[in-house]
Amino acid sequence: MNAAKITPLHPHLQPTLLVVEDDVITRFAVADELRAAGYKVLEASSAEEAIAILERLPVHLLFIDLHMPGAQSGLDVARVAQGCRPAPRIVLTSGKEPPDRAPEYQDLGPFIPKPYLMSRVIEIVRRSLDPTLD
Amino acid sequence: MAVSAVVSTRPRNAALPGNPQTILVVEDEVLIRLVIAEYLRDCGYKVHEAAHADEAVLVLQSPDVTIDIVFSDVAMPGSMDGFGLARWIRANRPDIQVVLTSGIDRSAEVAGMLCEAGPMLAKPYEPQGVVDRIKLLRARADRA
Repeated sequence: MNAAKITPLHPHLQPTLLVVEDDVITRFAVADELRAAGYKVLEASSAEEAIAILERLPVHLLFIDLHMPGAQSGLDVARVAQGCRPAPRIVLTSGKEPPDRAPEYQDLGPFIPKPYLMSRVIEIVRRSLDPTLD
Repeated sequence: MAVSAVVSTRPRNAALPGNPQTILVVEDEVLIRLVIAEYLRDCGYKVHEAAHADEAVLVLQSPDVTIDIVFSDVAMPGSMDGFGLARWIRANRPDIQVVLTSGIDRSAEVAGMLCEAGPMLAKPYEPQGVVDRIKLLRARADRA
């Protein structure tokens, strides 16, 4: 099937999130919970898949694991996202990143260390999409 | 990273209204995968996504995830293709039904494997054709 011929997804009223996570069980769990919270959720298993989606489809929020195997990192994906218009909000996660995050990550968005509570993720996603909640 | 990272506040695979069937879509082309996955969700199915057969096996081995039907591409990177995945499912999870899809011409060798792997859906496919195939499979299973 030619991906260029795919009919675009029809628009939904709810915000669209892109979950980027190479661990399939974790990705399932996060996507499942976010859908149950009312969001439309797209899934990417790698940085390359995430960039392919960001280049073609509008995304309101990117929830991304910073450390993934492959030629491109979560940071690469976040930089592509920052170049999108309109740019999606970004929420970062990792099981490796120390609390005192590296400077290049600090302006991207909130960071949630693994392991995390899904209630915490949903709360941060809500606040990121609607800053008036702060 | 492969970190068991999620602490849920609700049961995994909690029953949704109408108790929809759960489909695992296995497809390495992400833009194809997300379109068919979204279509199936819009049709009322609960849908999980795997980027290749190795991910699919991890999912099918997980005690926390229930899958009724696997819809898989044949040609995929990794340690096994769609036929290999179908054989693995037949050997290890015979309760799960499999629908394969491929853009590959139906050579005699492939056709021989089809009998084992179950119904084949040719690419390019219409999303509704996938739904029709799934409904047909379930109807046959219900009659058996």
